[in-house]
Amino acid sequence: MVAQTEEGAVPARRGRWDRRRTIAAIAGGVVVAAVIALLVIGLVNRDVGTSIQDALDEGERPDAPAFTAPVLLAADGIGPVGSDVSLDDLKGRTVVLNFWASWCEPCEREAPILNEVARRYRSGDAPVVVLGLDVQDLSEKALAFARDFGISYASLREAGDAAYRDYQLTGLPETFVIDPDGRIALKVVGEVTDPAQLTTAIDQL
Amino acid sequence: MRRAAAILALLLLAVVPATAGALTVNEVAREVRCPTCNTPLDVSSSPAASDMKQYIAQRIDRGWDKQRIIDGLVAEFGEGVLATPSKSGFDLIAWLVPGLAVLAGIVAAGVLAWTWSRRRPASTAPAPPPPTAEEARRLDDELRRLR
Repeated sequence: MVAQTEEGAVPARRGRWDRRRTIAAIAGGVVVAAVIALLVIGLVNRDVGTSIQDALDEGERPDAPAFTAPVLLAADGIGPVGSDVSLDDLKGRTVVLNFWASWCEPCEREAPILNEVARRYRSGDAPVVVLGLDVQDLSEKALAFARDFGISYASLREAGDAAYRDYQLTGLPETFVIDPDGRIALKVVGEVTDPAQLTTAIDQL
Repeated sequence: MRRAAAILALLLLAVVPATAGALTVNEVAREVRCPTCNTPLDVSSSPAASDMKQYIAQRIDRGWDKQRIIDGLVAEFGEGVLATPSKSGFDLIAWLVPGLAVLAGIVAAGVLAWTWSRRRPASTAPAPPPPTAEEARRLDDELRRLR
């Protein structure tokens, strides 16, 4: 009689124990999977994309990532200072988008060249606008830079780094020629040393 | 009396450090990061970091407190400039998750310890089935041979 009771109790207890272990294993598995997923997401986001350069290398014109930023320097109908301007607002015009910062020495050297490009198209019929985008910078330093180097074109200022990441920048300066449909036609990594680097591409659009 | 006051003043000077209360650039710099090098500002030496340190020094000279300077840097560079995530909104998760993970670990350890302590000693193995007629016959034969 005693033996019968024990025989009945043992499998019941063992079944409960197995269920608990299964639940614990599933919970553990879910936690481990979640941690691995977070690590993978972190690594993927950290990676600097190369899709813009890859598309340009294949002769394509990738869509220029959208951005909205406040105006730091008003010019060429872009303003007033402090108002938000987005890339969409400039559709229909060719945009020479130059990422810069006041602490960047090559930016100092290319400023006169960008001024020259801006001046050239300002007087012509082609709807072309040179637009600076100041990033990773202090606004007071940026304004001093604009004064010191006589920047004549409009510039926006981004406090975060969304546009920097979306345009897959690896450093400053970088310049993009964006066609009137909002697609990237040219990317110059580093300093623009000759106006022709930009004007050749602009005139072909 | 004057002597006692002088001694008291000397003692106070010895106890209170000369720099107490004075905000330093590094005290603020370690709360933010350099946007171009992604390292804490107090150990960064890039041109952007130098500009930021100069900004902090100028604000300290103007009498700004630490939080006001940090808020100013956030306005210039965005929330991403903070060395640690803010303690509100989505960023709160970064603060809560490690604490919750430790709590979950403690609870799991407690549950396991409780379960193991309640485990009874393994019950006696079930009695073997009675021998079959053939097995009984062989057993009898073996025993007879031993005699």
